[in-house]
Amino acid sequence: MFWLIAVVAGRLLQLNPNLIDLNAILNAPGTAYLLGADDLGRSILARLLRGVEVSFFVAIVVTGITMFVGVFVGLVAGFYGGKIDRILMQITDIFLAFPGILLAIAFSAVLGPGLVNLMIALSMTGWVSYARLTRGQALGLRNRQHVLAAESLGASVPRMIFQHILPLLASVLVVEATYSLASVMIAEASLSFLGLGIQSPDASWGAMLRDGVRYMLFAPHYVLIVGLSLMSLILAINLGGDSLRDRLDVRTEK
Amino acid sequence: MLKHLFNTVIVVFGVLVLTFLLIHLVPGDPVEVMLGESASMADRAQLRADLGLDQPLIQQFGSYLAKLSHGDFGRSIHTQTPIIELIKTRYPATLKLAALSLLIGMCIGIPLGIYAALKANHWQDLVVTLVSVRLSAMPAFWLGPMLMLIFAVWLGWLPVSGMESNTSIILPALTLGFGLSAILTRMTRTSLLEVLNDDYIRTARAKGLSERTVILRHALRAALLPIITIVGLQMGSLLAGTVITETIFSWDGIGRLLVESIEKRDYPITQSCVLIVALSYVLVNLLTDSLYRFADPRVKFAS
Repeated sequence: MFWLIAVVAGRLLQLNPNLIDLNAILNAPGTAYLLGADDLGRSILARLLRGVEVSFFVAIVVTGITMFVGVFVGLVAGFYGGKIDRILMQITDIFLAFPGILLAIAFSAVLGPGLVNLMIALSMTGWVSYARLTRGQALGLRNRQHVLAAESLGASVPRMIFQHILPLLASVLVVEATYSLASVMIAEASLSFLGLGIQSPDASWGAMLRDGVRYMLFAPHYVLIVGLSLMSLILAINLGGDSLRDRLDVRTEK
Repeated sequence: MLKHLFNTVIVVFGVLVLTFLLIHLVPGDPVEVMLGESASMADRAQLRADLGLDQPLIQQFGSYLAKLSHGDFGRSIHTQTPIIELIKTRYPATLKLAALSLLIGMCIGIPLGIYAALKANHWQDLVVTLVSVRLSAMPAFWLGPMLMLIFAVWLGWLPVSGMESNTSIILPALTLGFGLSAILTRMTRTSLLEVLNDDYIRTARAKGLSERTVILRHALRAALLPIITIVGLQMGSLLAGTVITETIFSWDGIGRLLVESIEKRDYPITQSCVLIVALSYVLVNLLTDSLYRFADPRVKFAS
């Protein structure tokens, strides 16, 4: 929703997020620039809108990749159990031994900054939670009556997985995806904040916040506007996620 | 317990493998990336030999482990300083920051949680819960600049950044502590509410004990276990949070060392910092777990 508004608004207003106006450097909000201008005289409003676009793109791509890989690993581990399961779970344990975004920082450090490397780094760390979740669910579903029945009727392994297990996982995975959309966006912003993510001239809220901190003493409006926007965006995602979860999440049903 | 320890050993080994492999993930030639294209052939060969990159992978890993076992993390590429020296000077700063943040988090979070639980379903509870839920969603790189703007730039009460004055630690610690306090508030509230319905609390009340004694002596003690676990688990995000918070406030801890080393492409330092933070996290988790077992005999029986 936010994304659509941002894209449409950006196109409608004919704003150029990269247009440099040297006379307007760090200008306060006014008639020429509704929300002021940044350190290169670019419109903060235009860059915020563009930043949302980029950020959602990253979040959707990364969530897609991590979900695919994680669900695959989780299904294999949960379905076959035994040794395969132990080895795969040991690997996820190792990934989980790195707190928070440390591993993503490490990966993007060696891969170098940039949009593609950022998405690789976030994908390399994000699949673990899906693998864990799917494995737990699959482990329970594996021995359900209907799966055993299918097996005894000679159903192939892919058929059992796709026809009998995956559909039951769908709602749990959608709920997990809303969490991870938000967390990927925050991780992207964190990395960009550290200078490891999206690079100029591409707009990113994390990088804008960092620039805002740099010029805080001369132009507090910059950091303030980006900060308030970020706050409302995160609140909006959380509230949206909550209501979606309430509708889909069978576990919290009373 | 033994099985748990064994698992930890495997995880530590895995962490070592993964951090060791980091440098091999550098696209192209890591030596060229680190030194730049203008470096002479001799310099490159020298660095390659120093890092052992000319040897087979298994042998490299072997000597990596051997060096680590007597505290040799290698040297900085640019300044040739032994990395262990850098860590020795930077790590205490991070620990100090983390400890103060933890203290702030607990001092705000636990009393607020108790208050919310006692006022359960009144408007006070609603306000506390709502604020803490929303606050815990805000990342450090948002909270930090906002606190900086308010307390350092507008009000001028505290220094903007650096470590020169004694009050420098307050803003970074608040940044980390607030997020933690929000989580602790919710956790304390939930776990206290659960306990308050138990029979022995009713007994304590029936005995005529004052409400204060009932809450502090009987209920809180039982409610403390999940709180310990949360504190332990949150230490991890606290450690990761220091990377960003230290960068915002120019606090010379290990997190800032990590970011600086990435900017300078000094990969041996990057590798060591990642390793140190990850190992600290594993250690804290192990401690939390042992503490939990120690505090609650039921856990032992269950496993």
